Amino acid sequence: MIWISTRWKLLLMLAPALVAFTMFVVYPVVYSGVFSFTRFQGFGDPKWIGLGNYAELFADPFFWQALQNTVVILVVSLAILIPTAFALALLLRRKIAGSGALRALIFGPAIIAPILVGLIWVFILDPKIGLLNRFLVTLGLPAVPWIGGDVLSPVSVSVVFIWSSVGFAMTIFYAGLQQLPSDVIEAASIDGSSSWQTLRYVTIPMMKETFAIVTILMITNIFKIFELVYMLTGGGPVHRSETLVSYMYFVTFTNQQYGYGMALAVVITVLGAVVSAGYLALSRRKEQAA
Amino acid sequence: MNRRDNPPSLRRIALSLVAVTAAALALTACGSSNQSADGTTAITLSMQNPDVKTADPATAAIVSAFEKANPKIKVTVSGEAVADHLQKLSIAAQSDTLPDIFWVYKSTAEDMSKAGKLLDLAPVLDELKLKDTFPASTIDNFSTGKTIYGVPYQGLLTGLWVNKKILADNGISMPASFDELVAAAKVLNGKGITTISNGANQSAFSVWSFLTDLDRYGFQDKVKGLLDGSVKYTNDDFLTLYTHIDELRHAGAFASNVSTQTYQQAVEQFTSGKAAFLDAGVWASSTIQSSAVAPDIAFWKGPEFSDGVGEQNIIMNVASAPFAVDHRVGNDPQKLDAVKKFLAFYYSDAAQQILVDNGQPPVTTYQPTVDATQQSALKAALDAATSKGVKSPQSQPDLLVPTPVANAMYDSIYGVIQGQLTPKAALELVQKALDANRQ
Repeated sequence: MIWISTRWKLLLMLAPALVAFTMFVVYPVVYSGVFSFTRFQGFGDPKWIGLGNYAELFADPFFWQALQNTVVILVVSLAILIPTAFALALLLRRKIAGSGALRALIFGPAIIAPILVGLIWVFILDPKIGLLNRFLVTLGLPAVPWIGGDVLSPVSVSVVFIWSSVGFAMTIFYAGLQQLPSDVIEAASIDGSSSWQTLRYVTIPMMKETFAIVTILMITNIFKIFELVYMLTGGGPVHRSETLVSYMYFVTFTNQQYGYGMALAVVITVLGAVVSAGYLALSRRKEQAA
Repeated sequence: MNRRDNPPSLRRIALSLVAVTAAALALTACGSSNQSADGTTAITLSMQNPDVKTADPATAAIVSAFEKANPKIKVTVSGEAVADHLQKLSIAAQSDTLPDIFWVYKSTAEDMSKAGKLLDLAPVLDELKLKDTFPASTIDNFSTGKTIYGVPYQGLLTGLWVNKKILADNGISMPASFDELVAAAKVLNGKGITTISNGANQSAFSVWSFLTDLDRYGFQDKVKGLLDGSVKYTNDDFLTLYTHIDELRHAGAFASNVSTQTYQQAVEQFTSGKAAFLDAGVWASSTIQSSAVAPDIAFWKGPEFSDGVGEQNIIMNVASAPFAVDHRVGNDPQKLDAVKKFLAFYYSDAAQQILVDNGQPPVTTYQPTVDATQQSALKAALDAATSKGVKSPQSQPDLLVPTPVANAMYDSIYGVIQGQLTPKAALELVQKALDANRQ
């Protein structure tokens, strides 16, 4: 008989994954962190400048613009996407004709590559050739700079993000709803609870973990938005519609300021982690208070 | 059974791993060989287009003709979009795995040369007697001291393509001065026609005619001072130019979707007869030639300014970003010989005529044969470049400054065009990039 549960054998079996994880996750993260303290153009010797890149970052108006846009996208998306996805999951859980087809239809955008999603929406939102403005002009209304301006661009990116992600979020909610014990719902109903009361006091509390998962996934996805911005506006005009990641791409690969780009990457990672951890801490505190 | 019974299996695993590693190393060694069994030498050429055959037919045709003339040399051409290409080059330079020959920005090539990553081409050009085939400014452009780090890829002949029919149909004469251009923009805007077609989305660099305008406000004389800090980008001359760009915006010269339109869409706008001018260069001649507007095309060097600084009768006709050669090529006699043969062919009259046949101007002093009917757009551009009294600056302004400064220059111009920046704020944006570069 061969025992495989000894410590060294377990370590041996874990080794390939640990090596791969170290090579492809730990090493690049540490490497980026170290290079964020240097002035480096991608080749030659990096020059150690300490916190210089971080100081430059906080004085960079485009960084603040990108941060502001990311926050707008985060707030608008979460405020609309989570309730919409949950409402759709509730709706499609009911046994109504065509609910399967509707689920597939709503999930559809989630399987389209983000770069193509951006391309599709350019032809809808473009101020001159976009369908939306053509429709408005036909109605005698003025054209609106949905993208390409500095006010509506982040909101438009949010709308496109919601369109492309709502099906994915809905699917997770739908799976969560399917897992709910039916006897608890039935008991609430027998006790005279209305549909709204059942939803408010039974279903939603039991779905807390699912809400947390969906919210964390969406927060991390929002912090990674790049292709949508790249296709819709290219970050313009003059970086007014950049998100943190698209601006990091510009700084690193277009400007070839690798050290500065890595400082931005570190800040994005920290912000993403802080927002996600903050949300989790908040939801746990609420749970404990309840 | 004892838990320690399986060391033999571990040994077998370890031996297998060693065998696999050895096989992989052997394969790698085979892959890095420059000469195959049949005596063919392989060289690599890395370009800034994802599909060289369709996006850069001139280079593809030259490579094809070279391989035909040199059957013992195989040129492997690869390419990515500019940002991806530069990113790949940076990583390759860091790991000392650059392609043998590659397109690269002048400022990046300079940095690579300083870092010892590039082959000094001075001895090669001497041996091939190529120096005299280039305009003197070309060699100066790609030199630091006595080192020549690059050779010209293609010509950079830029300006404004003109749809003469749109001007004539709207009672507008071909403008010569900036004031006449503004007047034309006002008329065209009143009729819903875009005056100058531009596209900033994913192509913020597409401001070629305005870069030439910078030279009409003394950029070439100021550039050294701009880089060493003795001259400010926020000077009065540049402020005057940027104020003029703002005047054009106020006159409605630009498309309302200039922010979201790509360069390709701007070209499409022009070739479909919806814009009077296209800010581009000679590379667009093939596309224009195959469009319906081809019979009505002219090429304009751009407006002259009554308040400009220095020579106004200029056209941007310079070498574009260069080809550079990896320094390791110098250590491999077979590869070096193949690269020399490639360069000798590229700058031969036959290859320069291939450039012209594919809508590009020659980069040597070769006088090409141009079909006035089949290549009317190219001929218009070449005629404009050689018209009486017209001069060319030594280099395009953005090629004389580091990449972040060049990007800030593009942003500053598009910022004014799109009404996002005042002329003063636009100048400050570039000055900030210049200041950061000196730190």
